[in-house]
Amino acid sequence: MEGLTFLLNGMIAASTGQNLLFAVAGCFLGTLIGVLPGVGPAAGTAILIPLTFKLDATAGIIMLCAIYYGAMYGGTITSVLINVPGEAASVVTCLDGYEMAKQGRGGTALGIAAIGSFIGGSIATLALVVVAPYLAQLGLRFGPPEFFGLMLLGLCLVTALAGRSIVAGLLMAIVGLLLSLVGQDPTRGAPRFTFDIVALYDGVDFIPVVMGLFGVGELLSTAEKPYRDVLKTNLTRLFPTAAEWKRSIGAIFRGSGIGLFMGLIPGVGAIVPTFMAYILEKKLSRHPEQFGKGAIEGVAAPETANNAYANASMIPLLTLGIPSSPTIAIIMGAFIMKGLAPGPFLFSEKPDLVWAVIASFFVGNVILLVMNLPFVGLWARILHIPWQYICVGTLLFCILGAYSLRQSVFDIWVMLAFGIIGFTMRKLDLPTAPLILGLILGKELEKNLRTSLEMSGGDFSIFFTRWLSLALLIMSAMIIIGSALSLAPKEVRESTAD
Amino acid sequence: MRRAWIIASALLAALFGYTVWESRKYAYLDALGPGPGFFGIWLGGVGVLLALFLIAEVVRGGAFLDGDARVLPALADVPRPLAILVGIALVAASVEYVGFRLATLVFIAVLLPLLGVRNWIAIPVLAVAGSWGVFHVFYHWLKVPLPLGELGI
Repeated sequence: MEGLTFLLNGMIAASTGQNLLFAVAGCFLGTLIGVLPGVGPAAGTAILIPLTFKLDATAGIIMLCAIYYGAMYGGTITSVLINVPGEAASVVTCLDGYEMAKQGRGGTALGIAAIGSFIGGSIATLALVVVAPYLAQLGLRFGPPEFFGLMLLGLCLVTALAGRSIVAGLLMAIVGLLLSLVGQDPTRGAPRFTFDIVALYDGVDFIPVVMGLFGVGELLSTAEKPYRDVLKTNLTRLFPTAAEWKRSIGAIFRGSGIGLFMGLIPGVGAIVPTFMAYILEKKLSRHPEQFGKGAIEGVAAPETANNAYANASMIPLLTLGIPSSPTIAIIMGAFIMKGLAPGPFLFSEKPDLVWAVIASFFVGNVILLVMNLPFVGLWARILHIPWQYICVGTLLFCILGAYSLRQSVFDIWVMLAFGIIGFTMRKLDLPTAPLILGLILGKELEKNLRTSLEMSGGDFSIFFTRWLSLALLIMSAMIIIGSALSLAPKEVRESTAD
Repeated sequence: MRRAWIIASALLAALFGYTVWESRKYAYLDALGPGPGFFGIWLGGVGVLLALFLIAEVVRGGAFLDGDARVLPALADVPRPLAILVGIALVAASVEYVGFRLATLVFIAVLLPLLGVRNWIAIPVLAVAGSWGVFHVFYHWLKVPLPLGELGI
């Protein structure tokens, strides 16, 4: 009951003119980012952080969250119209979405994706309202060994599901963790690996790294082989027919459940629930042979799961302070920039802000639905902009974003270096997500590991004598062993290199 | 592809080995418990082992690799990515001396034709909008500090 009161207050705060305006702006910019091939949600959110510098914490975070779930929807448009996913989670939508567009049903594909995203996002936000306070309470009982176990679990999940080789995924995670060593030691404050470069005393900031790996790296790949062919399809009929509704409604609710559940697990990544939802629908369908040939469930289920995941993945961040993906980590960075620490204490210390942000997810879902159905034609037209303009514009914002965070030219060089690394990793088909999550979680992982060992006087058994910590470590080990034995679906592993 | 993976793994093994070496300069244990060198030594050590394992896996066949995939770009595809890299490097090298506006004006005006744009009206318009326009929005409206350079522009 108390949660409902907080939510109502949050709803009032989220509906004020200023917050509503920034939610609309965030949804618009997010969809634009999703539509533009070469700019994924992570790089896009990072690039747009400077826009929130002058905003108060609530408005700034509302805007960044809106950019995030706007981008998750925007990726669908390119999947359907040019068979190129705007972001990794939309890969599976290409299979049937593009086929629907080829059959002149592109409008219906985008319509069902928007409606499914709205339903999935709303259900996940409702779950956030119910679950989050309890998880935050549980989080208050976590000590350093449990936080270490939780972060390790997140890292193992990302690694196990990333790319073709588990060993390569682990190596990338270690590179990310090593990058986090640069700067001040998290428990003693001593400088490490700084090579007497003043800019390195604050460590390697993950925002220029994200911009380099996901933004510049992707643009270099696009510039190497620029090619885009926008399909001309019927975008006038957006609403599905009664028969299409009948086929989609079950898929939407199952997709919501899968997205919600997977969003609760740190580190899973958006692509996993979308593939799971797709595979489940194909297995349940009476006409599995239609999948890959324009089956509407093949769009409804993954797109719903995608948005449900996007909203639910805020739960580990808000309740435990654990980012599930690089994009969520950027939002976490925005919290920190505003002087807030995401985690269990946030609910007790800043309830107004937390509930306003949660309420803004409901508002944002409505905005996305209203914005995307009538403006599908506009988004499709944006795809006709020559790639060179998009490329130069994005690079400009990457430079601006990298510099303005710390007013440091050094960060532009960092972005450039990671652009080259990102380009090379794409060429070698090496996964980038474990590297980013390793960099983001590294300092906290090390701090919790070392604090745990300090608590036990150097005895590693502290991780095995506390049941929650033990359970998390066993799960981590099982995930790595399962992946090494190739238990994860082949399609998921091959599509998660990014 | 296989050779590229072996080279990449060997470079990673060298990086991890260097990390172990460098971490030895910091205390592994101190009076309170694990010291600043603890995590680096363990991570670097595990990294070396995994990198060597990956090299062995690739040498043995590495079924997960697409052996025919091309890693190095064709010569004809090099100029555009190279122009982007050089452009960013020049902005990074000059932005504090000539200011954000001038550096990005030149960046946009030169990079667009290098990437193949031949619309001679759009190029200057976009260059001015992308440099002076963006600067105005961020510096004056959003109060984001951007470098003015020694010329103050």
